[in-house]
Amino acid sequence: MGEVLITSALDGLLIGVIYGLAAMGLTLIFGVMDVINLAHGPLIAVGMFGVYLLFTFLGINPFVALLIMAVIGLLLGFFIYFVAVNRVIDAPPLSSLLSTFSVNMMIIGVGTALLTTSSYNVEYSLGSFEFGFFRVPGARLMAALAALVVTGLLYLFMYRTRPGKYIRAVADNRASAELMGIPSTRILALAFGIGVMLAVVAGGLIATILPINILAGGSFELKSFVIVVLGGLGNPLGALFGGLILGLIEGLVPVVMKTTWVPVIEYALFVLILLVRPQGLMGAKK
Amino acid sequence: MALLEVHDVNSGYGELQILWDASMSLEPGQLTTLVGSNGSGKTTLLRTIMGQLKPWSGSVIFDGEDVSKLPPYTKADLGLIMVPEGRQLFSSMSVRENLEMGATPKRARAHMAQNLERIFDIFPRLAERADQKAGTMSGGEQQMLAVARGIMSEPRILMVDELSLGLAPVLTLDLFMALRKLRNEGLTILLVEQNVRMALKVSDYAYVFNEGRVNLSGPSSEVENNEEVRRAYLGI
Repeated sequence: MGEVLITSALDGLLIGVIYGLAAMGLTLIFGVMDVINLAHGPLIAVGMFGVYLLFTFLGINPFVALLIMAVIGLLLGFFIYFVAVNRVIDAPPLSSLLSTFSVNMMIIGVGTALLTTSSYNVEYSLGSFEFGFFRVPGARLMAALAALVVTGLLYLFMYRTRPGKYIRAVADNRASAELMGIPSTRILALAFGIGVMLAVVAGGLIATILPINILAGGSFELKSFVIVVLGGLGNPLGALFGGLILGLIEGLVPVVMKTTWVPVIEYALFVLILLVRPQGLMGAKK
Repeated sequence: MALLEVHDVNSGYGELQILWDASMSLEPGQLTTLVGSNGSGKTTLLRTIMGQLKPWSGSVIFDGEDVSKLPPYTKADLGLIMVPEGRQLFSSMSVRENLEMGATPKRARAHMAQNLERIFDIFPRLAERADQKAGTMSGGEQQMLAVARGIMSEPRILMVDELSLGLAPVLTLDLFMALRKLRNEGLTILLVEQNVRMALKVSDYAYVFNEGRVNLSGPSSEVENNEEVRRAYLGI
């Protein structure tokens, strides 16, 4: 029993890091510009299929493909920002919800037309590693490590570089940032681009460990909402923390109950946190 | 030649006109003050100069160039720097980071280290609190930081909106003295103040604003002795 528990917990934590990474994209965008990006799920799917296509048809190593998809994700984020977000950024929240939801529908529509909704696999294995009595699939370990590296890089970017500090400054007080000479529209586009990049990278990492389909992003988007509320809206480090909790639940619950109880417990927790501690376990922005 | 000229500017919010043919000019190296009662349009004029509000008509000329239609961040790059009313700090960032953000214009970024040293020299309190979050400081310290952040931008004109608002008299005096010192080092300053008595004491030239237009202007010592000003603002 003890061994099963530890293995399941570890498994859950590894996938939890990736959930956390996906949620970070959502929470970063919300924290900076108060926009809830409803295209988050399909963008995760874009990352999944980007890595799948680059690997399957061009034979590019999934982790190299991930770098390529990161760049594409950033550019895609700029594009979506200027087309769908910039003009409604000061409008009531419903406007940006509807416009990002439209982007969501377009990606799903095009994706379904091209790829249907069937399941695909990235045929890539890294064997497994053994630590004492428990073993971890290599791909999972690599994906979790990659997610941690990306999280670390995000923090270095936000706290040690000028563009990262500009993003924090604009999030804090946009009018004031303009008075210092910071072009806030470009900075918001950058933040949105990074948020999309995180979703795409998380999707790419998921593709290396789980079967994918064009609608699969949706469930990760829902998980992202739970995670973001757990960790605190607009708090990227909270997202990592929330991801780990969700991963743990998914790893441990099946040990003692049927797997179908997992979403029940996750969403019960979601409602509970909203009722008892709406600022999240780690505190929301402001 | 004047460094900044405002010609017959009309402006306001939505349909509501606040400024009515407002005109003023700033001479280089002088500390000019803009005084007037609450709601007389002083802040609106500053916001129009900075580009946060677009002039409906009239023009803003900076260093011989028409800058009426430029956005605030371009104006900041040119050297027009405003310290807004109510400080408007980046409250979740550290004091040092706030100062770094001040050093965004290209001219200022090159001299950031020297300017930081100079700031810590003028305001030793900020050096002590460099790694503290800006939002956790006292009101007076926050106002110091707001002014310091402006200086970090290496302004060609520093515009300060309501320097003394909500501050204890001792702190207010300190900040006025700091502005005076900057003026003596050659900086052109526009000070918007409700504390008319102090503003007239510390400045070279004064504009008295009333209902969105300039009522009276002249060297501060003359304005101070004007009968109407003494009655309306100084309570004598």
